Amino acid sequence: MSSWKKLLGAMALLCLVLFAVACGNNESASEDSEENTNNNEENGGEESGESSEPYSFEIMANLHTPEVPEETILEEIESKTNTDIEIQWVPDNNYEDRLNTAFATSSLPQAVFLKNQSTFIQFRDAIQDEQFWEIGPYLDQFENLSKLKENVLDNTRVNDKLYTLYQGRPLSRQGLIYRKDWADNLGLEAPTNTEEFMEMARAFTEDDPDGNGEDDTFGLTDRSDLIYGAFKTVSSWFGTPNYWGEKDGQLQPEFMFDEYKQTMDFFKEMHENGYINQDFPVTSKVDQQEFIKNGTAGMYVGSMGDVGSLYNDAAEINPDVEYDVHNNIAGPDGEFGVWAIPGYGNLVMFPKSSVETEEDLLKILEFFDQMMTPEVINTAYWGIEGEHYEVKEDRALPIGEQATRDREVKPYQALEVGEPETNGRYEGFFDYAPKAKSEELFKDNENYLIEDPTIPLYSETYVSDGERLQQIITDATYNYILGEIDEEGFDAAVEEWRSEGGDAIIEEYNASE
Amino acid sequence: MESSTAVPVKELKKQRRSEVWRQIKRNRLIYLMILPGIIYFLIYKYLPMYGLIISFLDYKPYRGIMGSEWVGLEHFQRLFTSSEFWMIFKNTLVLFGLQIFVYFPIPIIISLMLNEVRHSLFKRGVQTLIYIPHFMSWVVIVSISYVMLTLDGGIVNELLDYFGIGKINFLLNEDWFRPMYILQVIWREAGWGTIIFLAAITAVDPQLYEAARMDGANRFRQMWHITIPAIRNVIIVLLILKIGDVLELGFEHVYLLLNSSNRDVAEIFDTYVYVAGLQQGQFSYSTAVGFFKGIVGLIMVVFANWLAKKFNEEGIY
Repeated sequence: MSSWKKLLGAMALLCLVLFAVACGNNESASEDSEENTNNNEENGGEESGESSEPYSFEIMANLHTPEVPEETILEEIESKTNTDIEIQWVPDNNYEDRLNTAFATSSLPQAVFLKNQSTFIQFRDAIQDEQFWEIGPYLDQFENLSKLKENVLDNTRVNDKLYTLYQGRPLSRQGLIYRKDWADNLGLEAPTNTEEFMEMARAFTEDDPDGNGEDDTFGLTDRSDLIYGAFKTVSSWFGTPNYWGEKDGQLQPEFMFDEYKQTMDFFKEMHENGYINQDFPVTSKVDQQEFIKNGTAGMYVGSMGDVGSLYNDAAEINPDVEYDVHNNIAGPDGEFGVWAIPGYGNLVMFPKSSVETEEDLLKILEFFDQMMTPEVINTAYWGIEGEHYEVKEDRALPIGEQATRDREVKPYQALEVGEPETNGRYEGFFDYAPKAKSEELFKDNENYLIEDPTIPLYSETYVSDGERLQQIITDATYNYILGEIDEEGFDAAVEEWRSEGGDAIIEEYNASE
Repeated sequence: MESSTAVPVKELKKQRRSEVWRQIKRNRLIYLMILPGIIYFLIYKYLPMYGLIISFLDYKPYRGIMGSEWVGLEHFQRLFTSSEFWMIFKNTLVLFGLQIFVYFPIPIIISLMLNEVRHSLFKRGVQTLIYIPHFMSWVVIVSISYVMLTLDGGIVNELLDYFGIGKINFLLNEDWFRPMYILQVIWREAGWGTIIFLAAITAVDPQLYEAARMDGANRFRQMWHITIPAIRNVIIVLLILKIGDVLELGFEHVYLLLNSSNRDVAEIFDTYVYVAGLQQGQFSYSTAVGFFKGIVGLIMVVFANWLAKKFNEEGIY
């Protein structure tokens, strides 16, 4: 149940907020005094001021681990960039709430990560209202920030102006992770099309792939997430557009395409036959992964990079477990396609309410510029050389306990700006062959991308009501797969979506094209 | 006539006012003592009501309350014309009804039963055991239910399957949402709820029971004619307070149980406000929804109190 995870996060958040409030006061007091000293120094002579005082500011960032990290890495970053940073860690599950609350009470810190594309769209209104610094004109002053990829920056512009720095992500990491040993037992190859995918799911469920003589396995493990779970990726195998696509010379949402319905039928068939976990609409990511780790399920559709962590945990239960990754699965029309993200995972922006002067903005941008040097980004991303990683064939090989790295290093990966190509970060070196293969397949995926055509477009109704409307479709999709509603019921939901504001969204997107 | 009485009335008022002042002056220490209470309510209960203004605005946090555009009743219109409104309203009332008619009598029944237990160690043991769940958070309770009820290896479904009854989709079936909700409420709160009733029962004068026994009343008669009338006041007051919480159905609890398949019966005002306001940033609209919810709650309390007085009970004000 994703909601209880959210709630758990909410509680952690509450503690965090109380804590932040408690120290916030001290912080601002010390900041004030710091600023004063800065000013004094500047009056006395500008050259000396720069090198001595670390510039202090706050960053709000997503926390992907259960605990707030230890500060060793942060101290390292601070000393390398001559800054004094306070990070407000917010659990990723609750990031939207916290972001909206902080914004509503104008308590956003100086640098704010946004989480993803949809929160970015939510803030568009405020961005147009000039609540955030436009940073486009300053980028050229910075050696490293100016290296950021122009096409990705274009995806993040609002009215042709740039307000954010992006955190790069491979365009598509989606694919299939499956139990190689099970497939070998049953004489199956990696599926090359959706039919073979279904056959694998069937065989893993019915043909006793683990050979223990008991009916205790099923095929695909999925969770309560239509996007980052299996559904969206499978839908792009069927050729469904990525959120929006062109039909009859007009942009239309994905669920008005036949391919979307085919995907739903595909899932419905798997669900009816028990090839997929029966409660997947309320299954959390942890439970979903548990099914494949403990040998109950044999297939996992999502980020292929997950194979590394899945294997680490699964090998503790069963050392003989073998995984493999695979991307190229063609739909009924023989074509393979996979949906792409707009090239960024996260964005960072700078509220005018907390960054008061241009000078402050430049100092903060300077920090992010330094974050884009190999020396600093490798510390933030991989940790301390010799302690958390070592360099092998010009790549970083993580060493030591994974738990230690999770506690000390992993959260700081959220501070990355740019991607290895632009910030000089080491790519990972992986002993585990399927993990290395998954990195290859990310690149291979780039030949088959299905892009979202609405990224550069704007729809006011989508900003205000899009998410609420999407809920109608999400609910209907689940209910269709579970057999609670039929095609007529689904069409009725689409009709509801249209009449409650969807038609306006269609119109606005097409008008702004 | 009228003009002649007007003057005395005015004077009378003046007199009365000075009378009030004299009273206050005389008892100024007592008034001083309630001052912190008044200040507390002003600051934490009345002052924040200023924020309700944003339900009449197109509120943008960065423009502030003064700078945002006035839109009048637009958000209320949107709420009342929305297709979800009646569904949410109905769900809220149904869950409220379950709370009042199914949950509320249970602590009373349990405390009456406990009162009849003569073995005091056993009585206290049971009392402690049944109120322990109150200290568990909903997250824990809902997670435990999930683990027990899931189709993918949940123990309840495994048992049902074993006995040939067949698996039941508890989590994804909207028919099961309400029973699950109220059972979880009862499991968690019923024991805790008995505390006040038990306290009220111990206050009953033992002489009454003795007299009743002399008259030949059995246990059941004693309970019916002495215990219940004696705690009737407490029951009514608690009932009114419960009705005041009409729309506090436990946001946490419902939000945790909510999923795509049971939204039609599980979406209530609280969850709607949370999603629309905090997750999607529609501050004005969600304030309007919360405002409406508050008004419904107020009407309910006034009505319940009126009803209580009608039946010659004391009410809460």
